[in-house]
Amino acid sequence: MKMKQVGLSVAVSLAVLLAACSSNDDAGTTENDPATNEANTSNEVVDNEAEAANEPNEEEDNNEPVAEEPSEGGEVVVGIEAEPTSMDPHNTTDSVSATVQSTMYEGLLRFDESMEIVNVLAEDYDYSDDATAITFYLREGVEFHDGTPFNAEAVKTNFDYVRDEENGLARASFFSFIEDVTVDDEYTVTVTATEPNSAMAAYMAHSSAGMKSVDEIQKKIDDPDYNIDREGAVGTGPFQFVEWRDGEHVVVEKFDGYWNDEELAKVDQITFRPVQEAATRVNMLRTGEVDIVFPVPTLDASELENDEDIDLYTGPTTDTFYIGMNFQEDKYQDINVRHAMNHAVDKDGLIAQVLDGYGTIVDSAIAPNIYGYASQPIYEYDVDLAQELMADSDQPDGFSATLWTRNSTEFISVAEYVAIQLAEIGIDIEVQAFESGTLFDMLDAGEGTDLFIGRWSPGTGEADYGLRPNFASDRVPPNFNNSGFYINEELDGMFDDAISTPDEDEALETYADIQEIIYQDAPWVFLHIPDAIIAKDRDLVGIYVLPTGAVNLNLAEFN
Amino acid sequence: MLQFVIRRLLGMIPILFIITIISFLFVHLTPGDPIRIMYGAEISQDMYEQMREREGFNDPLYVQYFSYMSGLFQGDFGQSYRTRADVADEVLRRFGFTFILTMLSMFWAIVIGVTVGIISATKRNSLVDRAGMISTITALSIPEFWFGLMLMQLFAVQLGWFPTSGSGSVAHIILPSITLGFGVAATIVRFTRSSVLEVLREDYVRTARAKGQKESVVVWSHVLRNALIPVVTMAGLQFGFLIGGAVVVEQVFAWPGLGSYLIDSILTRDYPVIQALILLFSVQFLVINLLVDISYGFLNPQIRYE
Repeated sequence: MKMKQVGLSVAVSLAVLLAACSSNDDAGTTENDPATNEANTSNEVVDNEAEAANEPNEEEDNNEPVAEEPSEGGEVVVGIEAEPTSMDPHNTTDSVSATVQSTMYEGLLRFDESMEIVNVLAEDYDYSDDATAITFYLREGVEFHDGTPFNAEAVKTNFDYVRDEENGLARASFFSFIEDVTVDDEYTVTVTATEPNSAMAAYMAHSSAGMKSVDEIQKKIDDPDYNIDREGAVGTGPFQFVEWRDGEHVVVEKFDGYWNDEELAKVDQITFRPVQEAATRVNMLRTGEVDIVFPVPTLDASELENDEDIDLYTGPTTDTFYIGMNFQEDKYQDINVRHAMNHAVDKDGLIAQVLDGYGTIVDSAIAPNIYGYASQPIYEYDVDLAQELMADSDQPDGFSATLWTRNSTEFISVAEYVAIQLAEIGIDIEVQAFESGTLFDMLDAGEGTDLFIGRWSPGTGEADYGLRPNFASDRVPPNFNNSGFYINEELDGMFDDAISTPDEDEALETYADIQEIIYQDAPWVFLHIPDAIIAKDRDLVGIYVLPTGAVNLNLAEFN
Repeated sequence: MLQFVIRRLLGMIPILFIITIISFLFVHLTPGDPIRIMYGAEISQDMYEQMREREGFNDPLYVQYFSYMSGLFQGDFGQSYRTRADVADEVLRRFGFTFILTMLSMFWAIVIGVTVGIISATKRNSLVDRAGMISTITALSIPEFWFGLMLMQLFAVQLGWFPTSGSGSVAHIILPSITLGFGVAATIVRFTRSSVLEVLREDYVRTARAKGQKESVVVWSHVLRNALIPVVTMAGLQFGFLIGGAVVVEQVFAWPGLGSYLIDSILTRDYPVIQALILLFSVQFLVINLLVDISYGFLNPQIRYE
């Protein structure tokens, strides 16, 4: 009997593994809604028809008591996809580190679930009439984890330190719009920009604008060898730093002196465990060794949807996938060619087959969750139309092209799908995959670029950072991200107009015009927005997911 | 014997010196700019130049090499670009994890490998031998990655006997060490079997049998001593490979050893870490080879070191 069971589980695991190993070529038969291009700003919670929530849990490893009321205390274990790189928000560019830090640090402002800017350490703020300055009225009585007070001086110290390039922090450029920070009184501080900038509040809501104890910054100034990235995690958040052991975990514990009585931490501890192998992360969730994992591979997601003990969150991220083209090449000069390429790609098919349905078509150069987004009529999949456009273009016989892609599965499978479709209109594509560091080098060098696949996600959640780096004339290689050398002087002026007006409606209108021009001019083949997929134990509640894919765990608790 | 060891140790110095040069060049001549990787796409040109200058990337290669070497002689392996941890500390800590995993894997591999190998050889062409050989070939053909996930699925997810991954208790090491030992065991089985078969044909074995000694005595005291020498060499080499961190297994089981460290570092151009690891693996290999050579003497005192 026992043997039979073992045999059965082996057979089951075999089947599971074989299914997991089979290629992506067969259309994923997920029970998802087909991807629509409607903006879905709220993240749907796929909740399984669970029976009474207090049925005894059969997991042996789950030491969380199952109670009818949410229980205080306990430990949340989070499976993250990579090792964090730093505990210093000013020196962080990866989302894993930002997720860990968000439990410990707070900024003056933050984004909520629908990417609205809300007050945190600032009680209020206002822009000057010409949008060159923003004044923050700070919350009083807030202390850092080390007991030092939070005030206007602390804000000034933080921003002055991070934007000074001498200090070599990864976010120096991010805050380079700041001309000066002045302390008006103990709880009032004004940030002045080098030029009018109505997106300043969005920058201040970004995770890298987290406030750090002045003492820690002072330690680093006094002793250049002080390892502030690993030891200096002192913020004002609901959790405080305990330890970080590479490859094992980062542990944070509840901070008893947290200022916000409304939002005190419910659990005693959060442990982040880096587990790079996606299949392993999912298995750990099944056994209860971790309570929440992200990101979840699309293949596993469709399977987890049928698991009663697991909730799945899916919702569009703010990432835009696209195929860029090099405008220094003759092939892409004719707009008919660019339109033909856009019409030749079946975005619905791409999302269904490559993303197992977890994505939406992108109908602008930025995603719907970005402030300033304006929807455009999409390029419908129409091979006949695409072939006509090619015939009318200056490339009637088609051409050959190389498509550069990162060598991760996520990118390669998209690249190969697009290559097959463009072959239909006489564009013969050779896909070349490179390790990401190498690829960025090649794009930065700006030599030999032809077609390339890209992903852009503006961390500030607003249109300027979503568009300018990719389409402004002054952002071409070797310095920046406009790797296709797209030059459009009309746009350059509009970018400046939009950011320099303090009038919100005017800015939104300009951004809408910019997006219309870009989408019409088609410097990219516009592809898709992948979904963020987060899976968690059904008993873990109180977490929310930002459209950026970041997960906020500060109010997590167990049912 | 002592002379031999000292001579070998001295011989390592030029080898290691060459390795530092090669690893340094390897790392610095591969495409991919560590500053770009550290700071992302949107870093101002000014700051980019400043950082290159600060990290010394603008100096001629030989200057960079000498500063790297002078650090080494002071036991300073630098700081990780990626996680800003002290490389020497981190490598030492992870070495512990890899060492434990390797020891236990080798233990499984040797116990299973030698036992099955001997049984197979002494019961040649029997059903037992055939079964042993078939399972060996199967074991060699199964990718570690898949086998690890299978074990995880069965013993961790379905049965719940062991944790799926991570570290922190004895239970955590069982599945990764079995996964890792599995492939090695298969190799050891084949080596042991063929080596024992060869020795069984020797004259002195026939003599021993002719003297009427029991078969078990013949095998255990006459055959094994000689038959195990190639097996020891093989096991030593395997140990050398494993101690370099079992990349695949460590990834699958999230084991914080040197293998996963190496992969992470290569992907992120973490120069100081890559260089430290290449050097460490080389030293390990040389040391293990020496130990293997020395162990022959214990197995068979007739072997002389010249």
